[in-house]
Amino acid sequence: MRASRYGLILLAPLALVLAGFFILPVLMMLPVSFREYVPGAGLAPGVWTLENYARIVTDDYYREVIWRTLGLGLFVTLACLLLGYPLAYLIARGPERWRVPLILLVIFPMLLNLVVRSFGWIALLANRGLVNNLLLQLGLIHAPLKLMFNITGLMIGLTHIYLPFMVLMLVAAIRNVPGDVEAAAATLGSSRLHVFTSVTLPLSAPGILAGSILVFVLTISALVTPRMLGGPTYKVMATLIYDEFMQLLDWPAGSALSFALTLMAVAVIWLSSRLTRRWAGMA
Amino acid sequence: MNALTFEGLGKSYGEVDIVRDMSLTIAEGEFISLLGPSGCGKTTILRMIAGLIEPSRGRILIGKEDVTSLPPNKRGLGLVFQSYALFPHLTVFENVAFGLRRRKVAGDELSRRVRDALALVRLDAYGERYPRELSGGQQQRVAIARALAPQPRVLLFDEPLSNLDAQLRDEMQIELKRLQRGLGITTLFVTHDQSEALSMSDRVCVMAKGIMQQFATPEQIYRRPATAFVASFIGRPNRLSGTVATRSGAGGSVRLGTGLLLPAAQIDQPEGAAVNVVIRQEAIGLNGGAADPGALAGTVALRAFSGARVQYVVKLAGDVELIAEAASSGPASELAIGSAVSLAIDPAAVFAMAPEAVPA
Repeated sequence: MRASRYGLILLAPLALVLAGFFILPVLMMLPVSFREYVPGAGLAPGVWTLENYARIVTDDYYREVIWRTLGLGLFVTLACLLLGYPLAYLIARGPERWRVPLILLVIFPMLLNLVVRSFGWIALLANRGLVNNLLLQLGLIHAPLKLMFNITGLMIGLTHIYLPFMVLMLVAAIRNVPGDVEAAAATLGSSRLHVFTSVTLPLSAPGILAGSILVFVLTISALVTPRMLGGPTYKVMATLIYDEFMQLLDWPAGSALSFALTLMAVAVIWLSSRLTRRWAGMA
Repeated sequence: MNALTFEGLGKSYGEVDIVRDMSLTIAEGEFISLLGPSGCGKTTILRMIAGLIEPSRGRILIGKEDVTSLPPNKRGLGLVFQSYALFPHLTVFENVAFGLRRRKVAGDELSRRVRDALALVRLDAYGERYPRELSGGQQQRVAIARALAPQPRVLLFDEPLSNLDAQLRDEMQIELKRLQRGLGITTLFVTHDQSEALSMSDRVCVMAKGIMQQFATPEQIYRRPATAFVASFIGRPNRLSGTVATRSGAGGSVRLGTGLLLPAAQIDQPEGAAVNVVIRQEAIGLNGGAADPGALAGTVALRAFSGARVQYVVKLAGDVELIAEAASSGPASELAIGSAVSLAIDPAAVFAMAPEAVPA
């Protein structure tokens, strides 16, 4: 009883901040999403409608942006996982003296401002950027490759930005796999590859899921990088919401899209935590 | 037929020798314990046999085959860990089937051999459970079944009972011994617990600081310790400091405290040298009343009752204090603090050795 009361007191400051500055404003947006927007005049007084939500599922353009956002989230998550697992494995199982330097290297990009990092990718990926110029001058291509303002550019940029999150989650998970259990598999006749696929990989599954959820949710809600590498026309949900609010001043549509995005994120987290419970219950 | 042979086996990390060059042979079907305090190198030896640590020097032979450079999965050994090391994501059945599947056993043969192995450790009914649903003792029995199922050439135990509580540990000792005798499987058992090693083994190898001290039957280890270390590590010793008074043959007498003379069967120092004297508690005979001729007179300073035994701290002449014990059902079980007692000390249980030879 005492312990739980102290727990509540310890939680209270954060809970109050979250309630006052996050949950309350979000809830204040909820009614707006059911209002009608009159161009040039703002909210139509006294009109309540489901039109804003209906449009998200019926409008072809909105649907395209939603699928694009989900696809981007999926691909960036997979790319981070495939690039991150070997690196995380090296950090977790490699020589002790490499661990801290390698982790610092992984974290280092996060010390740079997001805008700066995205600009870096523009310098590399633009039509007259470093990559295209090099390939042109080497004679490998005859016209510049389109590396920006499409899903390629967004994938490269977002994978780079969210890779550290994935790696840090995976390092923790791989370090949690007991060495004795792997040794037991080896003495029972498993080759190194089989030890990895039959023991290390399944036992690090909770970390894989946690890292994937994190990267997926961050990717589908990313704003700055998609804006810079996608330009004004190649939109994902976050940039679309930004434009609805700030450019078109269509608050009802923006609010409805925000709730749709939130719903998607919550659905992914819920689904994955159910999966984790089923797998990690055994770990 | 030798089941396991070490030839000059050694391991060093940089300048530090963990295991000094060690040679011994273990016969087929023998139960051998590696006994020593923590840090003596016994677990390193076990892991070198299993292929989990690469030796710096020497060779390991299983039967006639040199396995020194083979990876662990090619050695055909069974290893049971202190931490159990079960696969948490697999059922008990699949844990035991793991090694069999690696040897391409399948179908009815597989399920029959898994069931047989589980029956050996009396866990037939638990195949569908997950390790987390079992108690510590049950988990360790699954680990034993898992190691036994593929019929390994040698079974290795790394302090397998240390995580169990005392009562369960005693039961498991007997169960393990019975299992090993029934199957006739060559077994190497690593432990820091002398009662485990003495009660289960055919032969015991006592280790200290990476060096083999003695490799002999439990009786020989207990009655005729080969080195000062073994004498002070085995049994429940009183450790005192004194000087060598006289020498004759292997023994002589030692002087304790301010002048108490005591005959000792084993002395490895010359006359006049400062020595540590080890006297086994269980070798001190204790009687109430005045001293018999040839016995030592003392008074009881403290009494501690611990079930089957009663321990006394006895004050002797020359400011010497000894711990002695008596059966709690015997005549010497009710001696009051301050009462006079006589002690009969068997010289064969008194060892005198150079001070640095005694383990901390």
